[in-house]
Amino acid sequence: MKNIFLLVLVSGVTLLVSGCWDRVEVNDLAIVTAAAIDKKDDNQIELSLQIFIPKALSSGGGQGGGTGGGGAVTLVTSHKGSNISDALSKLQSEFPRRVFWGHCKVFIFGERLAKAGIQEQMDFLLRHPQPRERAYVYVSEGKAKPILELFAPLERYSAERLREISDLHLGMQVTLQDLDEKLIGIAQAAALPRVDILPPEKGQEKSQGKPYIVGTAVFKKDKMIGKLTENETRGILWIRNEIEASTVTFKLGAEKGKISINPIEATIKLVPVIQNKKWIMVVKIDTEGSIIQNGTNLNLSSTKLIRAVEKAFAKEIEKRIKLAFQQTQQVLKADIVGFGEEFFRKYPKQWKENEGRWDKIYPEIELEIEIKAHVRRQGYINKPGGMPEKEVKEQ
Amino acid sequence: MIRNVSKLVGKTKEKKPHLQKNHEDSKPQDTLYKNFNQNVETFRSVYNNCSDVVFRPFLLFGKIRAMVIYIEGLSDIEKIEEFVFSPLMQEPVNEPQSINEFLEHKLPVSQVTRMNMLADCIESISSGNPILLYEGKSEGFSLGLAKWEKRGIEEPIAEGGIRGSREGFNESLEINTSQLRRIIKSPALKIQSMKIGNYTKTTVAVAYIDGLVDQALIEEITSRLERIEIDGILESGYIEEMIEDNPYSPFPQIMSTERPDIACSNLLEGRAVILVEGTPFTLIAPISFFSLIQSHEDYYQRFMVGTFIRWLRFAFLGISLLLPSLYVAILTFHQEAVPTALLLSISASREAVPFPAIVEALIMEITFEALREAGVRLPKQIGSAVSIVGALVIGQASVQAGLVSAPMVIVVAITGIASFMMPRYIAGIAIRMLRFPIILLAGTLGLLGIMMGIIAIVIHLCSLRSFGIPYLSPLAPLKGGELKDVLWRAPWWMMDTRPRLTGESNLYRQSPEQAPNPKRGGGTE
Repeated sequence: MKNIFLLVLVSGVTLLVSGCWDRVEVNDLAIVTAAAIDKKDDNQIELSLQIFIPKALSSGGGQGGGTGGGGAVTLVTSHKGSNISDALSKLQSEFPRRVFWGHCKVFIFGERLAKAGIQEQMDFLLRHPQPRERAYVYVSEGKAKPILELFAPLERYSAERLREISDLHLGMQVTLQDLDEKLIGIAQAAALPRVDILPPEKGQEKSQGKPYIVGTAVFKKDKMIGKLTENETRGILWIRNEIEASTVTFKLGAEKGKISINPIEATIKLVPVIQNKKWIMVVKIDTEGSIIQNGTNLNLSSTKLIRAVEKAFAKEIEKRIKLAFQQTQQVLKADIVGFGEEFFRKYPKQWKENEGRWDKIYPEIELEIEIKAHVRRQGYINKPGGMPEKEVKEQ
Repeated sequence: MIRNVSKLVGKTKEKKPHLQKNHEDSKPQDTLYKNFNQNVETFRSVYNNCSDVVFRPFLLFGKIRAMVIYIEGLSDIEKIEEFVFSPLMQEPVNEPQSINEFLEHKLPVSQVTRMNMLADCIESISSGNPILLYEGKSEGFSLGLAKWEKRGIEEPIAEGGIRGSREGFNESLEINTSQLRRIIKSPALKIQSMKIGNYTKTTVAVAYIDGLVDQALIEEITSRLERIEIDGILESGYIEEMIEDNPYSPFPQIMSTERPDIACSNLLEGRAVILVEGTPFTLIAPISFFSLIQSHEDYYQRFMVGTFIRWLRFAFLGISLLLPSLYVAILTFHQEAVPTALLLSISASREAVPFPAIVEALIMEITFEALREAGVRLPKQIGSAVSIVGALVIGQASVQAGLVSAPMVIVVAITGIASFMMPRYIAGIAIRMLRFPIILLAGTLGLLGIMMGIIAIVIHLCSLRSFGIPYLSPLAPLKGGELKDVLWRAPWWMMDTRPRLTGESNLYRQSPEQAPNPKRGGGTE
């Protein structure tokens, strides 16, 4: 009996002595929901954290905190420092709870910082065990900190709003890990979604502006070198097969009115070809869409007309891709889609020979686009809605 | 580890003084005397100060001095009057040649046994059979007229159900064995009985089916039972603890049941059933861990339902063991492991709680256990009051007062429900008990601690044996075909074989390929 007692005692003491060292109660955590990093003068950065206030949620009860004047569920705190960890340690010394990155799903780099280079700050985010690799990364239009200070009436906090918008796949959706892979990858170019603030309406407070995604910031190495507009971004999304919810609207020949098609599915193949020392990229797209609006007077249930629509649809996609590609290839000269990787996979020898020259080869790559577009569904009605039968053109 | 500890204990244990024998056993004179008076005196001295023992002297056939000794309330007085006194007290028309013969052949009593040992006579009296002595004979006649008040056959309280027999065992051994015999009518059902307990002399019967059971198992059980030297057996729990393989385990290695159908299904699988007088709970050995989480109703319902419920039970077994500790571990060490929205809600509700998560969990779990125990032990009328107070005070007031967070109450409630999912109450208790060390591990080492706890439990389970049968069989050692009754509940037409480890001597329990099929006229067209 004595022995058992001794055994229990020893194992119990061992547990209590050795365990618990990294134990933190939830009550002692400052849950970071978003972080913004801005560049300041005198070679310093400013780290701003959006931190969740548990009290706000518990006292607000089921009514849901954060509605207009209902009180914010988050607070923003910031501090300057020579880099993130420096700023963080200074910030921590002024903050009563331990900063916890585990649920930070939004990182926003200020435009100035992005232009100066983000590598140094990336190192912290990737090295520290707490920040998630699956957090989304953005570049702000102007300073990043104001984005954190906004209210989000529909969501719990503004970072959540950004994340939800990203999940709709209307713009680029880049996680910390994607960004890291792109930056260390062959192409050494990356793209991040750009965030801007819709100014508040008249009579509203400054904090009632709404963050939204305006397009893409293009990075070469770790520095931002240019921007893509929303339209150009769509073209990039087509090549990267990330298109999901965006509608394609176009005119059909000389017809009056426009047709809108929602792409439902797309398979995209990038086929690199090297012919006579000429580098060509063949983009093969096979897509399927459904008509969601028909503004013309055409009855699209006729096969002939549908073929025409499909053709116009394909052409519109091609136009978008070309637009985007021209900007990234000719103007910005950054391989954000990852053509380099495709060539490297198919032609490893040629790649090795020309590895140093990729920056020169890339702007000269010829783009061939082959699109097979199909329209499979037309919605509930065939003929144009709300139009007398006489006016409908059957052929 | 536990085994090592027991070794250590074994070494340091001192020899216990030998149990003092009962006064009867130490009596010098063992056989009855020839002298009637002397015999009566002996009995009177044995039953000194026993006011319930009746000594009824009378004249046999009107001339020979005789005496009937019985215990009030244990023997059927009406029958004694009608079938013993009335024929024996009258002077017979033609005197019988030998009284012996008359008693043995002409007395209308179903059982008449001659005894010449004093100890036998006393045992007979104690078990309710009156002893008849008469002058000039050094033998007593035990008359099988025992009858005492018994509880009738009632519905088993601890093992209810929707479908299946509503009969349960009761405290009377004869009724219990008769219930087994009523289900298994084959003479291959053997029931061997013995008496254990120096004072209680409790009858313990081992039932098995000859030809299905491994004879070595019966020998082992009998020898373990014979080894027991104790003053009394009040419940089968005494026997269970005295004969199980590993006494230092929280897990029961012998199953108890109060349902005859469960006992019989185990008999048919080649196991042995130990019935103990005075308790409705019979013991079943050997068992595996999985028998503890199988319910009789799994087999009575459609097999899909049975399988679904079995899976549900597996899931809730894990919840019952781990949910509070997972909650504690994740909330104190791995906050990143919960979805953000959930963490925000939890942190909001925990904001006002003054205790760390582990203390909160322990308080709530211990309170819950106390409530449960109070509810079981109290009379029904007060029991409901306890549950109301428990639900109100613990469920609501403590959350409103900010002493406990609402998610913790939910966790404890789910865990409580989960622990009642175990069809064997005793296995549920084992799991509930193990929950506490795991909560402590979770609070000190996080998920790592939980894993350590689980590994320790699994190692322990693997090392357990029940009468030589590995406790985790057929999972460890793995017997693929036998998972039919563990991973799912195979339909009856697929359960062609008995569990191999207990039913090996007679493997097939039914003819194969009995699935209903229109070609064989079994199913619908």
